Amino acid sequence: MDAFFVSVEELFDPSLKGKAVVVGGPKDARGVVSAASYEARKFGVHSAMPLRTASQLCPHAIFIEGHPDRYRDYSHKVHAVLQEFSPKVEMASVDEAYLDLTGTERLLGPPLKAAHTLHQRMKQRTGLNCSIGISTSKMVAKVSSDQAKPNGILWVQPGLEAAFLAPLDVRRLPGVGKVTEEKLQQIGIRKVGDLARLEEDFLHRRFGKWGLALAGKSHGADAGSWFDGEIGSLDEPKSISHEHTFNEDTADAQLLESTLARLTEKVARRLREQGFYARTVTLKLRYKDFTTLTRAHTLARSTQLDHELITESRALFRKNWRAGEKVRLLGVGVSGFDETEGQLALIDGDKNERARKALKAIDQIRDKFGEKSVKIASGLAGDHAERVHENPVGLPGKRK
Amino acid sequence: MEFTVSKADLVRELNLSQGVVERKTTIPILSNVLLEVSGERLTMTATDLELGIRCSAPARTKSGGAGTIPAKKLLEYVRLLPDSDVNFKFSDNHWASLTCGRSRTRIAGMSRESYPELPQMPEALAQLPIGLLASMISKTIFAISAEESRFTLNGALLLLRDRTVTVVATDGHRLALVECENPLDSPANYKALLPRKAMAELLKLASDTEDKTAPVDFAGDDNHLFFQLGPRLLISRKLTGNFPDFERVLPKSHSHTVEVDRDELRASIERVSQFSDERSRAIKVRFGDNEATLHSSLSESGESEESLAVEYGGPTVEIGFNAQYLLEFLRAVPEAKVAFHFKDAQSAGELSPGGEGVDYKYRYVVMPMRI
Repeated sequence: MDAFFVSVEELFDPSLKGKAVVVGGPKDARGVVSAASYEARKFGVHSAMPLRTASQLCPHAIFIEGHPDRYRDYSHKVHAVLQEFSPKVEMASVDEAYLDLTGTERLLGPPLKAAHTLHQRMKQRTGLNCSIGISTSKMVAKVSSDQAKPNGILWVQPGLEAAFLAPLDVRRLPGVGKVTEEKLQQIGIRKVGDLARLEEDFLHRRFGKWGLALAGKSHGADAGSWFDGEIGSLDEPKSISHEHTFNEDTADAQLLESTLARLTEKVARRLREQGFYARTVTLKLRYKDFTTLTRAHTLARSTQLDHELITESRALFRKNWRAGEKVRLLGVGVSGFDETEGQLALIDGDKNERARKALKAIDQIRDKFGEKSVKIASGLAGDHAERVHENPVGLPGKRK
Repeated sequence: MEFTVSKADLVRELNLSQGVVERKTTIPILSNVLLEVSGERLTMTATDLELGIRCSAPARTKSGGAGTIPAKKLLEYVRLLPDSDVNFKFSDNHWASLTCGRSRTRIAGMSRESYPELPQMPEALAQLPIGLLASMISKTIFAISAEESRFTLNGALLLLRDRTVTVVATDGHRLALVECENPLDSPANYKALLPRKAMAELLKLASDTEDKTAPVDFAGDDNHLFFQLGPRLLISRKLTGNFPDFERVLPKSHSHTVEVDRDELRASIERVSQFSDERSRAIKVRFGDNEATLHSSLSESGESEESLAVEYGGPTVEIGFNAQYLLEFLRAVPEAKVAFHFKDAQSAGELSPGGEGVDYKYRYVVMPMRI
């Protein structure tokens, strides 16, 4: 999707159209840019940049709070449209998806025609612009959709993948970040074509496994970790987390624990949405001076219940927070997923059963009246505006 | 302070203190053992503030006093000495000089002034044979929770009621209860939470005691529990908090019971569980027409199944269990036959000693797994 968050905001407030818009919060607030309109991007503003930096680069931009509920809603709408085109749809993030169109020719016509139909229908149904890249591999499709932006379609014909990639900067390859780019520049590699000319053995020796993946990518193949998977086969998340950066650093234990409870509640809610039971709880704690620690604890039994997860995240916090020291950011994550509950509880069995039923009812209320309709009391003081990022760090194939 | 003590005595007693000595170096002096000499006796004390142990050995005293030296280093060194007498001489700067035959060593110590004072043992509440106490501990200790956050489950409940002694341990998923008649004196009714580490040390004391009927004097004050076995004294801080209401989770009755040979069941579970998920250790136990079938499968690497002949005519019931939980009981129960009680896939199962002549109560309640 093109400038997804901003485009959604424009639907709600058409006066934003064509202006430099920064989503993330007031210009003097802490925290980072979630998304920027193309006009703001011209001034160098990009997602994950501190809001204050953005306001220096582009002082005339309109700074607005994000609306995660809206983006989720629209993401679901986008997903629904995509599903009309193929049963194999993989949402790589809130605004990015891969479709396997193999075998849809008789129904949708040749690739360009199918993409054109999709492009139109997306605009019709959601009011949003998107860009589409078509290729024989996920990796090249991703790069070509980037090249097609904004609001375009680009088809890389079979056999021309390497030729398409060759003139591009290596940084364009998903997974190549600042570090790899620098390492490649040190050996004189700037373009994907330069990379493609290197011997695989050489890259392997120099970069290990990652070198082999690089070689594959430079020829247009899906190579390395996530890109090796079939579309739709890796739909399941491996971890779920929420974090919050305080507007002002705080050492208020009550506020911190309250925030922690609220973050954990959100994590638990998503865990139930996905139908998973988590075994490992992770705490992320960033102090005023940016020293960051993450501590994890693995439970004897997997769970998706608020109170059990909150007990764990709180225990981790109490064990690891240097009391009195100001905290900048708190985060809670869960991982180690099981699809079944596994070991049942003996001591808290009936308590957990009651909690399970209560949470089921609460989740139904939330489905109907929104995420904020029911919240745990201990998390109220710590309920801050939610921040989401258009390009979450850590997602596969994301340029930062 | 100067004294002479036999190497064998020293090694035996120091060995008992090793589990208690603080391993982390947060408080350096806790890595040391306190040596005190008065009369013709050497007393050795070790503590990590949670647990303390005091042992002693006969000594030929030249001059009395006290000093502390690193416990681990001392034992490691003394162990290597020939079987002979070891002479200790402490100098004013807290260094200890050890002489044994032609070996001479100096070890840097610390002043006894900074060594924590261990509480005094109050009047004994009860006496228990060490063998009985140890057997009750080994039947329950494995069910204690390893979750630090559930601190009231990090130990076992010790209950003295009239002449019965009860030990209960649970990690929230399974529970082990053992109840015995005490042949010795136990006039008091008493209830306390005994930390796992103290239980492990008591097992060690028991294994070092030949006479299993030797009495342990048991006492407690507000914060501590005391176990005196002959000249050896173990002191443990009590766990505070409320142990869960365990009577509530003990099944009142069972729909079905089958009796199985302990070793046969254990061996089968050990084999079958090779193909269970390493993390959850889940296996399926199916009771059907005179047969108990154990099954486990790992989609990626294989599956395994075994069946045991049992006397059972009820409906077919399939229940998921953590194999580790079952094995731990089967390794602890001394009887050759065990009874397996169950109802359905959601209700707690129970294992207990089977056969004739079981004169004590041993119940092991295990919640199933949803697989």
